[in-house]
Amino acid sequence: MTAVAPDGFAAGPTGTGETAGTDGEATGTDGGATGAGGGANGGDGGEAGVGGGETGADGNESYRLNVDGFLRTVNGARLGDSLLTVLRDTLGVTAVKDACEQGRCGACSVLLDGRLAASCTVLAADADGTRVVTVAGLGGAGLARAVRAMFLAEGAVQCGFCTPGFVVAVTDLLTRHPDADEEEIREALAGNICRCTGYGRILAAVRAVQAERSLLRSGDAHSSGQTQRPPDGGPDGG
Amino acid sequence: MLAAAHDSGAAVALLGGGTDLVPALRSGERVAGVVVALRRVLELRVRGAGADSLTIGAGATYTDLAGWSLSPGLARAARVVGSVQIRNTGTVGGALGSARPAGDLLTFLTAADAEVLTASPRGLDRQPLPRFLADGLAPDALVTAVRLARPGGPQVYLKIGDRQAAYPAVVSCAVLVDRVRHRLTCAIGGVGLLPARMGDAERYARDEVDWSTGTVSPTAARRFGDLVVEAAARITPALPAGPRGSAEYRWHAAGVLAGRAFARCLHVTAPPAGVPGGPAGDSAVGGQP
Repeated sequence: MTAVAPDGFAAGPTGTGETAGTDGEATGTDGGATGAGGGANGGDGGEAGVGGGETGADGNESYRLNVDGFLRTVNGARLGDSLLTVLRDTLGVTAVKDACEQGRCGACSVLLDGRLAASCTVLAADADGTRVVTVAGLGGAGLARAVRAMFLAEGAVQCGFCTPGFVVAVTDLLTRHPDADEEEIREALAGNICRCTGYGRILAAVRAVQAERSLLRSGDAHSSGQTQRPPDGGPDGG
Repeated sequence: MLAAAHDSGAAVALLGGGTDLVPALRSGERVAGVVVALRRVLELRVRGAGADSLTIGAGATYTDLAGWSLSPGLARAARVVGSVQIRNTGTVGGALGSARPAGDLLTFLTAADAEVLTASPRGLDRQPLPRFLADGLAPDALVTAVRLARPGGPQVYLKIGDRQAAYPAVVSCAVLVDRVRHRLTCAIGGVGLLPARMGDAERYARDEVDWSTGTVSPTAARRFGDLVVEAAARITPALPAGPRGSAEYRWHAAGVLAGRAFARCLHVTAPPAGVPGGPAGDSAVGGQP
């Protein structure tokens, strides 16, 4: 069976490279930029008005989130809740970890329309209409598989609490910069904190992924490597 | 919409990237009856270039700025803010709205003589950044953009502090050189409640730099740094001392950063014979603090 909806899977990594600049526009489908209140997205998710007059002080309107390719309806969350809170407490998505809740540790990292973000700094209701991809939605093949395998092979996982965030961040990095050097890797992962490994094993894992991937695309030069990259999206072969 | 929300009497919060507001809502540090989410307002994400000015929409993220070739100095400053996660979401409007005393962008924009463009039921308005920061944003107004001059020479932004990805800078410094107008501007963040311009040091630079070649004497960077230390000690109101370091430490750090940034912006002429090494060593200091 297919463990992961191919849809959501492709949405993540491929979106990063090619559409990052325009994604924002793509999501603004409701044209409600000046307060039309566009109901098309479900709830009152248009441009604004979170917690408008028709809801109580706690504001419990429902809205929908595209999480790992599945459209999930959110009921009963407070409209001030972060995406992290809604994913874990309302939707039961535990692939994002809750640690600092201040945007500092990266344990709750997700891809939002292909862009790496800390879900604790994102208002859940404002993510209506975007594609949210957690580590569970990265899929079981291609780059994301290689990242997970190398984290295990290189001992980059100890207590494991930071690992989901790291896997998302590393997948994002290697999608954008397959050949990142050590300084670029360190810089790109600065938003993810690991208290166990001292980062050496994590760096080694990233290097191992790069080595494996460059073997895969050896022969043809750079250009073909970049055009071939996306089909991370295939269904889980099992 | 914003005005209506304001008129309803509820506590209104403007949501840019969320990197400040969402954690604050979670912790209870801030309470909002209404959150106006601005991410989908595409007009706010526009960046534009005029004959001699650049306009940056309030919704532009640090990542947007980091790749902007029209303002390489601002791009480099944006690249050293926070982490990838923060840069992908944090916005220019959020930096202005939150107005953290050591906000990276604020220091750079203060040195750049930036103007803040706002919209409210009373119409469009623009004001110099220092006045905007001093007065604060009216409750029914919205920052739409920030405007600054096109770069006219080298621009260097340096900062010092704890782990960059997790904490704002303790002290920051921006030095901008305008070779056309023979001007150098310098702002220091993290010493006062708001970023401050270093007038004496700027005047010293104006007189000291050989503007035909963009060079300065080897001792100039140190003197420039000393003037910044003196000016930093006079900044009022000062940030209270605390976990961010003593006032003396921050004055000293301001001087070191300013001297370094100054040396990186300008060519230092060869040191006079008999002064081995000399202050030219300042410019050799490599990495970011």
